[in-house]
Amino acid sequence: MSEVVVECTGLTRTYDQDSVPVYALRGVDVSIMQGDFVSLSGPSGSGKSTLLNIIGGLDRPDSGEVVVSGTRLGTLSESALAELRLHKIGFVFQAFNLIPVLSAQENVEFILQLQGVASAPRRARSTAVLDSLGLSQMSHRRPGELSGGQQQRVAIARAIVTNPALLLADEPTANIDSATTEELLLLLQKLNREQGMTIVTATHDPMVMGYTTRKIKLHDGMIEEDETAVVV
Amino acid sequence: MPPAANTIIVEDTAAKLSFEYRGMVWRIAWRNLWRSPRRTWLTAASIAFACLLVSVGMAMQAGSYKAMIETATGFYTGQAQINHQSFVEDERLEHTIPDATALMRALDRVSNLFAAPRAQGFALVSVGDRSFGGLVVGVDFDKEQQVVTFFNNLTSGTLPKGVDEVVIGETMARNLGAGVGSELVLLGAAKQGGVAALALTISGLFSSGQSELDRTLLFTHLEAVQNGFSLGDEIHTIAIRVADLTLLEKQISQLQTILPDDVIARSWRELMPQVTQGIELDRISAKLMYGAILILVSFSVINTFLMVVFERTREFGMLLAIGMRPGLIIRQVLAEALFVWGVGVAVGLLLVVLLVSYFSSAGISIEGMEELARQFYMPDRIYPAITLQSLVVAPGVLLVGTQIAAFVASWRIRNLQPVAALRVD
Ligand SMILES: Nc1ncnc2c1ncn2[C@@H]1O[C@H](COP(=O)(O)OP(=O)(O)OP(=O)(O)O)[C@@H](O)[C@H]1O
Ligand SMILES: [Mg+2]
Repeated sequence: MSEVVVECTGLTRTYDQDSVPVYALRGVDVSIMQGDFVSLSGPSGSGKSTLLNIIGGLDRPDSGEVVVSGTRLGTLSESALAELRLHKIGFVFQAFNLIPVLSAQENVEFILQLQGVASAPRRARSTAVLDSLGLSQMSHRRPGELSGGQQQRVAIARAIVTNPALLLADEPTANIDSATTEELLLLLQKLNREQGMTIVTATHDPMVMGYTTRKIKLHDGMIEEDETAVVV
Repeated sequence: MPPAANTIIVEDTAAKLSFEYRGMVWRIAWRNLWRSPRRTWLTAASIAFACLLVSVGMAMQAGSYKAMIETATGFYTGQAQINHQSFVEDERLEHTIPDATALMRALDRVSNLFAAPRAQGFALVSVGDRSFGGLVVGVDFDKEQQVVTFFNNLTSGTLPKGVDEVVIGETMARNLGAGVGSELVLLGAAKQGGVAALALTISGLFSSGQSELDRTLLFTHLEAVQNGFSLGDEIHTIAIRVADLTLLEKQISQLQTILPDDVIARSWRELMPQVTQGIELDRISAKLMYGAILILVSFSVINTFLMVVFERTREFGMLLAIGMRPGLIIRQVLAEALFVWGVGVAVGLLLVVLLVSYFSSAGISIEGMEELARQFYMPDRIYPAITLQSLVVAPGVLLVGTQIAAFVASWRIRNLQPVAALRVD
């Protein structure tokens, strides 16, 4: 029996665009279980990023409730939300994930420093994560000296080094070629299978959906389809 | 499954920011500086320039005020004077300091202090049938030369040697139709009501540059005036110079303890209020100028950091998204401002030290300003002096200015929404 990591009920979110209301989410109920590898797909503007941001505590819904690892986000202050993001959630964005003036290793260590982890365990953990993602050769390079795919791998390393309850990725493969995308997906799959990492990724890419174990389709701010692959 | 009770996961990580994290702030700040080296150098250069202008200005002020005071006091007045209280209120013949010999002996024992006694009386000065009013001052010429430069201004002849010799201003000599070797007759009112009569021979002429003095003053030996005006062992003024001008006030208050009742010592600040006022006025206008320079530079720093913050909006959005607190990001920007300040001030102060140490021995002449300079007791050359104040004030004000500027520029980070920041393109 796996545990619920994310519980969303009745989420709505409306944006004001030049005083015209844009309905980004129109009543979303979804539970994400420990060990789920979820793809959020749907046409552009269907609400994928909005849902991901609300689950990650980056945005607040107009109504409805989100519970992440037992914490009701609606009751948290801004700084408590930031703490939750720092400790419980790993983020991988489409781009601009890394601090340009820090090396790969320093980028990974940076988040541990924000958590207040002491120098020795910090170094050990970041080295271990970079090794496991096959990045040890380039740990001293800065983002500018890495390819797009390598940068995204470092971003994943940064996201998982804190052992988050949840890894959220918003179109992490949008800027990279298909061969590199496949490498990245294998990596996420491995994390999911071997470490039981719960992953939710928004994507347009059918290749991504080929790897995920649960496929949620959004349309006009509502869940249109939620299909769990038969585990083979 | 019911949602679990709200667990408090929040332990404030900012509060337990590790030593290493602070190291990271500095590292990131330093590297960020060199993301756009040209901008950094431009900003640092404006800080350096402001620092240079203000610090050199202050060094010049320090040098010129010191020179101004020394020139002004060393001309004739002395850095300080001792008089009887009544003489200060009304310069009359009978308002004297008694027992001058004993007092002078006591003053001679004070180290790092030079004292010159003076007695004076008004007299009608005549040569043949021409007469003019004058003030005859009896002095000790050796001691005068330790205190003032006035007697370096002889244009002909020598200082009086014999007790019946006198030096007078060139203007008075011209008015009297007299010259070196001429006989003068002085008639005045003596202390006890009798007639003061002196017959003196001109041994030299002086031209001080101040026509008032050159027209009215005569100098002879102290005893001649004391005898002529029936003053006995009394004098009117003791002019003082000390070895170190900065210790003057302290030495004056020490002097006060050995002076008889009702005899007081006053420094140049009281004796020459026009000098004090001139310096004060100059200080105020300099302060206004320095203030303007520093404010202008601070505004240019605000501009730089507004650009920095604007350009890094997406990066800051990402940092906020992963859970960094806005306050930490602002600290990061402040650290960057501190480094720019450090680079600018280091360059600025280096130039200040080089320039000032060169000019403090070579001096800076004010071309074509000599005439004006003389009127304001300014020397022809100014020797800037590095003082602690001139090295500390500009950097200190710039430190506050740049930090405030960076803080103002990064204030909007407080309200930056990570999602919105990440969407910026
Ligand atoms: N900050 C915002 N202000 C105004 N409208 C917004 C904002 N964010 C999202 N929207 C609107 O809400 C709707 C859903 O946006 P969202 O970004 O969630 O879609 P998406 O599925 O992620 O699209 P895409 O595939 O293009 O990334 C869109 O119509 C979008 O224009
Ligand atoms: Mg999106």
